[in-house]
Amino acid sequence: MKKRKNIEKLSETEIIVLAKKDGKYFGVLYDHYFEQIFRFCFKRLGGMEDTAGDITQQVFIKAMANLNKYEDRGLPFSSWLYRIAQNEVSMFFRKQKKNYTVPVDENRIQDLASEANLSSYMSMDDQQQLVELLNGLEDDHMDLIELRFFQEMSFKEIAAIYGITEANAKMRTYRILERLGKKWKDSK
Amino acid sequence: MRKFSVNTDNKKTTPTDEQVKRQKDFARLHHEYELLTKRGKKPLYKDPKLFMLLFIIGLVLFLLFMESEG
Repeated sequence: MKKRKNIEKLSETEIIVLAKKDGKYFGVLYDHYFEQIFRFCFKRLGGMEDTAGDITQQVFIKAMANLNKYEDRGLPFSSWLYRIAQNEVSMFFRKQKKNYTVPVDENRIQDLASEANLSSYMSMDDQQQLVELLNGLEDDHMDLIELRFFQEMSFKEIAAIYGITEANAKMRTYRILERLGKKWKDSK
Repeated sequence: MRKFSVNTDNKKTTPTDEQVKRQKDFARLHHEYELLTKRGKKPLYKDPKLFMLLFIIGLVLFLLFMESEG
């Protein structure tokens, strides 16, 4: 195995090639991306440390097992990991028999409301009402809103996760916001 | 099923550095990966090449033992 210092000089693509041949090199990728993926899972799970830790481990085990299938298509390696993490967390939610509650910070709800042109100021009742509307969305729509407003991801990052164009990610998000706005007006 | 709620209890939704450190463990990951991938491996004695090697070693030891006895 090459010395750690030498490995760190290599590009990410070169490290991936080495990791495909020998699992030990995967440690470099793990060291580099663990925190990002753990933070993502932690936030999606509303602060459940151990569950987020277990799911993150699962993400990296799957990545390690499927590394040979990974193809460099010009997207960052992290977007492939985020895609696995997105699927793993969604699978976890689906397996839950009872509703799993994810707390969302008021600021994030406020951002969502102003982006959807609902109101510049949301009282606590308004926020609760908006969250109820969100909970009525389809799962994949909920995911998109979550990535954009609660995970604060750019459209570019979202596009990379879903394997779509940035314009498409933007269009899908704004369509959901439009529907949300309509439901909001109807409920008032 | 997942449901969102307004974070009125100010529950922390971003991990601390301490929590990140606590959960990061490549040795555990590698061990779990090995367990998963090596589970279906053939037992040593069912590998014909290895079986032959073990047989030859056994035979040599047996002959050496017979030689020393004789």
